Amino acid sequence: MKKFLTLFLILGTAACANAQANYEVSRIPKELLPYSSAVVRDESVYTQVDGGNTLYHIKKAITVLNKNGDDLAHIVVWHDKSNVIKGIKGAVYDEFGKLSSKFSEKNFEDQDASNDFSLFEDSRVKHYIPSIGSYPYTIEYEYDLRSRQTLNIRDWKPNLYPGLAVEKSSYTFACKPDFDIRYKEINMPAKMVAGYTKEGLKTRTWQLSNLKAARSEPYSPIKDTYLSTVKIAPKHFVYAGISGSFNNWNELGRWNYDKLLANRQALPPATIAQIKELTNGIIDIKQKAKKIYEYMQGKTRYISVQVGIGGYQPFLASDVDRLSYGDCKALVNYTQALLKAADIPSWYCVVEGGNAKTSMLDDFASMGQGNHVILCLPIKNDTTFLECTSQKIPFGFLSDFTDDRTVLACTPEGGKLLHTPKYTAADNLQTRKANLVIAADGELSGSINTVYKGTQYDNPESLVDEPLKEQVKIIQKMYAHINNLNVEKLEIKQDKKELPIATESLVFNAYEFASRDNGKLYFSLNPLNRSSSIRDVRNRTNPVYINRGYVDEDEIVYTLPAGYKPDMEPIDVSMSKPFGKFKMSSVFADGKLTFKRRVELIDGTYSKDTYPGLVAFYQQITEADNYNMVLVKTN
Amino acid sequence: MNKFLLNLLVFISFTTLASAQDFPFGKFTVDEMHLKNYKNDTSAHAVVLNEFGSSRIDIAGDDHIKTFFKYHTKIKILDTKGFGKGTVAISFYDSQDTHDEVIDVKGTTTYIDESGGIKITELEPSKIYTTTENKYWKTIKFAMPNLSAGCIVEYKYTKLLQGFGRMPAWEFQDDIPKVNSQYEVHIPAFWTFNAMIRGPLKLTKSKADVEKECFSSHGSKCDCSYLTYGMADIPAFIKEDYMTSSKNFLSAIYFNLEEWTNPYTNVKNKETKEWKDIDYNFKHADYFGSQIKKNLLNPYIAPVIAGKTTEIDKAVAVYRYIQKNIKWNEINSRGSDGVKKALDKHTGDVADINLALVAALNSAGIKTDAVLLSTRVNGLVNRLYPVESEFNYVIAKTTIGTDTFLLDATDPTLPFGMLPIKCLNDQGRVMSLDKPSYWIDLVAKQTQNTASNLEFTLQPNGKLKGTITTYSMGYAAFNKRKEIKKFNTVDEYVENLDEKLVKTKILKSTISNVDSLDVPLCEVYEVEIDVFDNLNHNRMAFNPVLFERHTTNPFKLQERTYPVDWGVSSNDRYTLTMHLPAGYAIESSPQPAGVALPNKGGKFLTEFSGAGDTFTYSNVIQFTKSVYAPEEYPYLKEFYNKIIASEKTEIVIRKK
Repeated sequence: MKKFLTLFLILGTAACANAQANYEVSRIPKELLPYSSAVVRDESVYTQVDGGNTLYHIKKAITVLNKNGDDLAHIVVWHDKSNVIKGIKGAVYDEFGKLSSKFSEKNFEDQDASNDFSLFEDSRVKHYIPSIGSYPYTIEYEYDLRSRQTLNIRDWKPNLYPGLAVEKSSYTFACKPDFDIRYKEINMPAKMVAGYTKEGLKTRTWQLSNLKAARSEPYSPIKDTYLSTVKIAPKHFVYAGISGSFNNWNELGRWNYDKLLANRQALPPATIAQIKELTNGIIDIKQKAKKIYEYMQGKTRYISVQVGIGGYQPFLASDVDRLSYGDCKALVNYTQALLKAADIPSWYCVVEGGNAKTSMLDDFASMGQGNHVILCLPIKNDTTFLECTSQKIPFGFLSDFTDDRTVLACTPEGGKLLHTPKYTAADNLQTRKANLVIAADGELSGSINTVYKGTQYDNPESLVDEPLKEQVKIIQKMYAHINNLNVEKLEIKQDKKELPIATESLVFNAYEFASRDNGKLYFSLNPLNRSSSIRDVRNRTNPVYINRGYVDEDEIVYTLPAGYKPDMEPIDVSMSKPFGKFKMSSVFADGKLTFKRRVELIDGTYSKDTYPGLVAFYQQITEADNYNMVLVKTN
Repeated sequence: MNKFLLNLLVFISFTTLASAQDFPFGKFTVDEMHLKNYKNDTSAHAVVLNEFGSSRIDIAGDDHIKTFFKYHTKIKILDTKGFGKGTVAISFYDSQDTHDEVIDVKGTTTYIDESGGIKITELEPSKIYTTTENKYWKTIKFAMPNLSAGCIVEYKYTKLLQGFGRMPAWEFQDDIPKVNSQYEVHIPAFWTFNAMIRGPLKLTKSKADVEKECFSSHGSKCDCSYLTYGMADIPAFIKEDYMTSSKNFLSAIYFNLEEWTNPYTNVKNKETKEWKDIDYNFKHADYFGSQIKKNLLNPYIAPVIAGKTTEIDKAVAVYRYIQKNIKWNEINSRGSDGVKKALDKHTGDVADINLALVAALNSAGIKTDAVLLSTRVNGLVNRLYPVESEFNYVIAKTTIGTDTFLLDATDPTLPFGMLPIKCLNDQGRVMSLDKPSYWIDLVAKQTQNTASNLEFTLQPNGKLKGTITTYSMGYAAFNKRKEIKKFNTVDEYVENLDEKLVKTKILKSTISNVDSLDVPLCEVYEVEIDVFDNLNHNRMAFNPVLFERHTTNPFKLQERTYPVDWGVSSNDRYTLTMHLPAGYAIESSPQPAGVALPNKGGKFLTEFSGAGDTFTYSNVIQFTKSVYAPEEYPYLKEFYNKIIASEKTEIVIRKK
């Protein structure tokens, strides 16, 4: 009888047979080890749409090979009121696949997940760091997550980080046969296989194996372009009790407009009257908008408050009017309301903000591709974008946070994909002219004048509105290669145009800038603007990607101490590559030494074979930047 | 001792009663509204015009004894960079058994509107948020409405702390200046607290009065001490680089419960008045003494020391075993939930690990004590009277033969007998279970030493070819091992190094003792370095400091207020021997440098010697102290200037 029972149990649990999988570390295929600090041994993500809910069952076994892998095995589960975790549990195995310990929900720490700056955010995180004290070890865990909505379906990203190899991973999306979806595969080596569950749900499954760990390579394109992803978007969905449907950006934008944004812009009559008065007499729409924008900047400040429908709905314009603060959505909505009071139309635009330029996918509409909101003024032939969370940024300037990328504008006519302005290398120009005197005792003195344009406008931002005492500390760090820098005078001016310009004028002295040794004077020819070399990468796999271009021009005229001349040949370096140009020279005439340096870096994507050239480019710049001048007495 | 740590006991004579002194809420003067900058600190972005706090032990509505802490502040925001002061977060303790509360939050922003009129906006109760940080802490957060440059924000709240043992401290100093700050404490005679002031600033007000029958509960009555502490014109606290915890220098007052009488039973309870009381507590505490006393770990330790005969071999084996078998969960603590549990779970906090170490060494027959300490970030502990809660870390101390070892097993890359820098904070208290506790110095036994020897031959193609041998010792070895361990393998470390040093090609490498923590780490690289394009020049300049040349001074401030504290002393030695090809000679060489810091604080020396086709350059930088006083700062700064100047100079080689 007992024997029979055992047999029965085995049959009954056939589906879970791999729960007893062998996690012996020696069974990991050898080719997965290079650059790996952890290997996903077996992962299955099962997603099921069930009425207005999305259910996930996640099961994962991951082997940590060394200390670096601890972070990759650190179990982190985000949750909030509408995303509920259930039944999280797991086990830890040693190198030989022997069970070492088990853990369950009570072992997890539960914490507030909002960042430091946030006033309120309904997001929490459960996390747990398993360990057996030595490496390698394997952890296996599983949990269920119920999300009370069907709009935002989580992406599947099997190799989420560089350093993580994947032995086996699978993803199944199950739904009723009449639940239409669209999906998008990015770098997905696996083919989708369609099928049905025995309950009659339609399934789509991807399964992949033996994916090597990506290595972290400098100047790589954004991670999403080389790691693997499957994205799924529903046609009909329910979100916070609101239902809707979309097949494309137009329809998604329309839903956003109608359901999340409409009727949130009422303002008190006094504010409307004030706006009318403020813009009275201004005819040009853009000038009017600028006036209103500056009014908004002067009145409000950015505070992160993630409330409202799943954090997607801005709070009322009248609230911002009363409180003078809000998050990006609230401030954009408020600015839009103010503009409306002056009959200026504008569009609420969802964007992925960040230094890396991440665009909305042209061919795949889905919620959750953006993390920030900006405002668009659809002026004919002069579309202008406004960043509404800064009190200081010039009207129409996006800086390096939302420039040059595709955004979703939510308009009354539905969603529209727009592209924000790009700042070219020539736009991001920094020009510096210095007149410096070197005394026979080594002291350096004189003036430096620097003009910063485009995205370089932000370079001296930290000096603005600071008292001289603070400015001196910052300047000493900015010009760290001039030791003993003593500021005599410093002035910062900002011209807040759409392509803004900042001007910094510095008068200073610095004792013992040049060192004296054996009757010679040594000093660094370029103490103002230095590059550093970049790491070489052999056997590179990613193309070379330069995110943003710039031009730096420096000219220093040194007046040398009487009776001294340069001891060495003048420097004269010049390089031209597809991705950039570099030129440096020094000329001595009439007791004056003129130093010139120009670096131009052109943004774009270049083949991976370009990389050694980029390394050599920076190396040559760095060496030239380190050039030491030696002065000797003329007689 | 440190002049910044004026651990003053506050003795004040009692005078007659005065009434409570909070300033009125919502009142401002025209001058305050029109203030453009703060005369005592024109660089301030905001200034506290007035700040008032009071603490009182009293009976709450629920008939429990609670500590009522009232806080009230009025801040002038001078410009937009001061807006941060308009976003407020108040943390309070809320765990399973202790529920503190924050109530009666009230706030207003007063500002001048476009028309020049003065407007007041109240903080809306619906815009005050409570978040749960974790299972112990909650936070009340709010943003003051309608901020603009020149506005005044004012807010107040009451915090109810359960019980009477946690009298709130008061920080007179903040990162913005204050015109006035006052704290009042009402202590019923049933309780006695110690008050302690830290920081160099002086109180401008300190008063003690008696309040008659201020406390009464169920027929039990007593008078209160009514203490007032005030400071005026308080400068902003400005952090400097390379300093220890701000807490050591920030002007503040702290309270510690000394003893109390139960108002209902009249039973006297002594809190930690003397070390012998604390010693007793620790000895008998489940979280401390019990973890060490019992031979809990005998079954684990017996196999670890099997076959080992000397005490030192046993001690090292036990230390390695604990290091390897319990992973630190990044939490500091002075008490353990159970060392056996930690060993079984392979994870634990500082006390879990280091009390396990103490227990394990004792069970191996090696007498070991636990040592309580406060980490550098946590600040110094006071020496006037014991305060258990000032300690946040525990280590082990053992003596083998005549050598004393301080041990921390939380980091598997620490050699036996070395403490991490975070623990090197003045003194620790040795909690011996059979003797009274005592202080010991927490100073580094090891220094941070490196010695590099480079031997190169200049090739006809302009490249240098040769060997770099670097020995790292003490903290230098510890840091380098950490660097290497960031990579999956030593080979990946070398590959990365090779890729980073673009002009240097590593032909062959040997790194020894990566895992032998008790001996120097040795790296040997055979390399080829591109120095000159070719040798077709008549004269060539060559800087003998090939790697890690000093080019910028870490010290930029004109003067310093607080000491420079590196934690350990250091010694770096660099020697380059170079062979020139036939037909070349040295035209000129740098003059030797020799600079010393006062009080034998350190030295910088370079030497050049050459004959024929071979020369040797050496460079020694030595800091013999780990802490430099502000008076030594100008010398330290100048010392770096001299290093930078010297490392700029070059050797000129000439074709014969």
